Amino acid sequence: MRQLIVRRLLQTLPMLFFVSVVCFTMIKLAPGDPVLSFVTPNMHADDIERIRHNLGLDKPAYIQYFIWIKEMAQGNFGYSLVNHQPVLGQILERLPATAGLMGSAIALAVLLSIPLGLIAGANRNRWADKLINFISYVGISIPLFWLAILLMYLFAIKLHLLPSMGMRTIGVESAADVLKHGILPCSVLAFGFLAGYVRYIRSSTIGQLKEEYVQIQYAFGSKKSTILFRHVLKHVLLPVITLLGMSMGDLVAGAIVTETVFSWPGIGSLGMTAVKGMDYPLIMGITLFSSLMLIFGNLVADILYSFVDPRIQLKG
Amino acid sequence: MRRGLSGVIAIILLTFLISACSGGNNAASPAASGTPAESQQPAAGEGPKDGGSLIIGVAADPVVLNPNYAGDRVSLTIDQALYAPLFQVNNGKKTFYLADSLTPSADNLTYTLKLKSGLTWHDGEKLTADDVVFTIEKILDEKQNSFLRANFLINDQPITATKVDDLTVEFKLPQVSPAFEATLVQVTPIPKHIFENETDIEKSTKNAAPVGSGPFKFKEYKAGEYLTLERFDNYFGGKPHLDSVTYRIAKDANAANLALQNGEINVQYLDPKDVSTIQATNNFEILPYAEGRLSYLMFNANSDTGVLAKKEVRQALSLALSRDEIIQTAYTSSEYADPAKSFLTPDALYFTNDVPTFDNDAAKAKEMLQAAGVSNLKLRFIVQSGNKAQEAISLYVQQKLKAVGVDVELKSMDSSAWVQKFIDLKATDFELALTGYIMGYDPDAYRILFTSGASSNYSHYANPEVDKLLNEGAGEADPAKRADIYKKAQEIVAGDAPIYPIAYTKTVVAISKNYGGLEEAVLKPVVIFEDLSKIYQK
Repeated sequence: MRQLIVRRLLQTLPMLFFVSVVCFTMIKLAPGDPVLSFVTPNMHADDIERIRHNLGLDKPAYIQYFIWIKEMAQGNFGYSLVNHQPVLGQILERLPATAGLMGSAIALAVLLSIPLGLIAGANRNRWADKLINFISYVGISIPLFWLAILLMYLFAIKLHLLPSMGMRTIGVESAADVLKHGILPCSVLAFGFLAGYVRYIRSSTIGQLKEEYVQIQYAFGSKKSTILFRHVLKHVLLPVITLLGMSMGDLVAGAIVTETVFSWPGIGSLGMTAVKGMDYPLIMGITLFSSLMLIFGNLVADILYSFVDPRIQLKG
Repeated sequence: MRRGLSGVIAIILLTFLISACSGGNNAASPAASGTPAESQQPAAGEGPKDGGSLIIGVAADPVVLNPNYAGDRVSLTIDQALYAPLFQVNNGKKTFYLADSLTPSADNLTYTLKLKSGLTWHDGEKLTADDVVFTIEKILDEKQNSFLRANFLINDQPITATKVDDLTVEFKLPQVSPAFEATLVQVTPIPKHIFENETDIEKSTKNAAPVGSGPFKFKEYKAGEYLTLERFDNYFGGKPHLDSVTYRIAKDANAANLALQNGEINVQYLDPKDVSTIQATNNFEILPYAEGRLSYLMFNANSDTGVLAKKEVRQALSLALSRDEIIQTAYTSSEYADPAKSFLTPDALYFTNDVPTFDNDAAKAKEMLQAAGVSNLKLRFIVQSGNKAQEAISLYVQQKLKAVGVDVELKSMDSSAWVQKFIDLKATDFELALTGYIMGYDPDAYRILFTSGASSNYSHYANPEVDKLLNEGAGEADPAKRADIYKKAQEIVAGDAPIYPIAYTKTVVAISKNYGGLEEAVLKPVVIFEDLSKIYQK
């Protein structure tokens, strides 16, 4: 097992390299010029060139990339082109806000989607299934920013139950305050995740119900709920683990839209600002960090697999 | 492993999608002018009270809280409260802040600046002539990369600042330049004792805990959330009324409007389309005020067809359009935009809107095009996709020009690509673009836009007579003569129609009715309030 983990971790290196090359190429191909944000109309051309030179942006793109990768190899994520703060510091500063929000949203989505998916699958084409299906279709198709504004309007403006945005009341440092601010964004995000999860679990439940072990349980006269929650559940957990592994990327990349709408100070909204300002080092840092988490999440998911389903043998 | 790979690709695609729809640069030109507030007086019998706090909604994190580098709207707004300027100019009249007086010598080559006595920084250190000289030296130092540097060069010769005594600074100009005062308006001293040993001030960690001289001092900053300032008791303009001012970062405009209604934000910029919603709550003063900005349609004379180099064609195209209709289309009402004819904005010295104009006469437009020998004219119009005002106006222009037999092809592009193309003086593959500028109150600032071959002459306008006038105006010390020069220049430029001026746009700000002192605080473009110390909670 240990050997496997080491091998998998080593395999991430070429993958990260590939990600960084693709990401860097795309940034370079995208229109826009970071120097523009420093330029004023009456600036002399040589002043503009000096800024470009100081930022190292006058070098050919591949040289810029090599400098970046060389620094990366030494653990230096570089500095933002816009505010000159260290990239890693900015990511780590925003990480807790995103991890807390995404973590709780994913947990909430999983906890709700498992029973909903099981019930929908077991009652295929009956009203419960149709209702749950309807909800998940709404979840998949509704724009989250719209749902966010709707909930904000309802719970903050009309009912005065919750704050509309931000992560804290100004000057207040308490967990309860953060929690209160987190309810709306967490619900919106959970609803988005939930919809996808329910669809997966439903179809996997339908598949499992056709299996022989289920027929045998029926033959033994087990109750339907016992079959569902004691036997089918175990099998259904497999796709959930996959989904969780896949969600690790989101955990860091954050839900860009939700964070922006709720002014949640996470990595998603940081990434949005970085992209707007063509802040190359920050965009690269965030992308790489997310990729790393995604690869890591998949590794953990694969390891968990072998515990949940002993038939699966891990082979690197 | 396959799963992981597809996930990684998904992330990359996401990055790509976002970068494809990203905005351009956020930098706002620092405006150096303003108009007095159109605010209402507090109800009679209610004097200013002390205490309380104010929350101002801002759309992004500040980039750098150092006036030598602040170019984005949010940093400029916060710096206005954190750092006191030397003086400000409104409607041609000076209001002195740190400075007590500014006197030019008889030959107009030396300006003597006197500081108020007893000035202190937020940390208690004395603010003296040393700080002013230090600030100017750092602006001029190439290694420090201040974008203000270009303003302190006159024909590539630097303006020098020397200390005479603790309260007096002498500025020497290489040649007469009445625009010097407008340059000085943009200068806000930074503390020498904090920055003198920093090799790169822009990147200095000391900017994270700024020490200023304004009515409010730095208290705390939570990245992505808010920045709070608290009252500075030794402010030379008198103790500020409010205990604290917080700038709350609200990136989504719809969400910010809800937070405004919910009392989580007290001051917020409004889009004209949201005014009626906010007004209906009856809890806010809605204040539209001129931002010193001209919004215009640019004719690119340098396009490969060369057709817009003929002034008759530009005049004819202008005649085919109606300014009032465009204002209705883009700004919903003339309440938020005044019709524009001159290239100067109303806050500029010597501004006149009494100039020739080509507007709303389709029949004459057709005639002129015919007379100019132009037929089957095809024009390319670059438009920022997602910019609602630009999209609406471009469709309007397309339809109106079709009526006079001109075919307009709309070329929609991402905003960063648009900016890059627009500012590229060598771009020849488009004829029309919508844009705007804020240049400040001194007309010399417009020289870079309208003299032949100048750095920001994006329309490639060239008229030797205008070149001569604008260069004369830059060095003319006599206000009467200067007024004549700029009046003439405005007339000639308007007649040549290198641009089609649309409107002098206004900013709309909503302020909770719980606050007073708005008139004394003076509403100002870009930074909202000129002097926050005057605002009080009712």
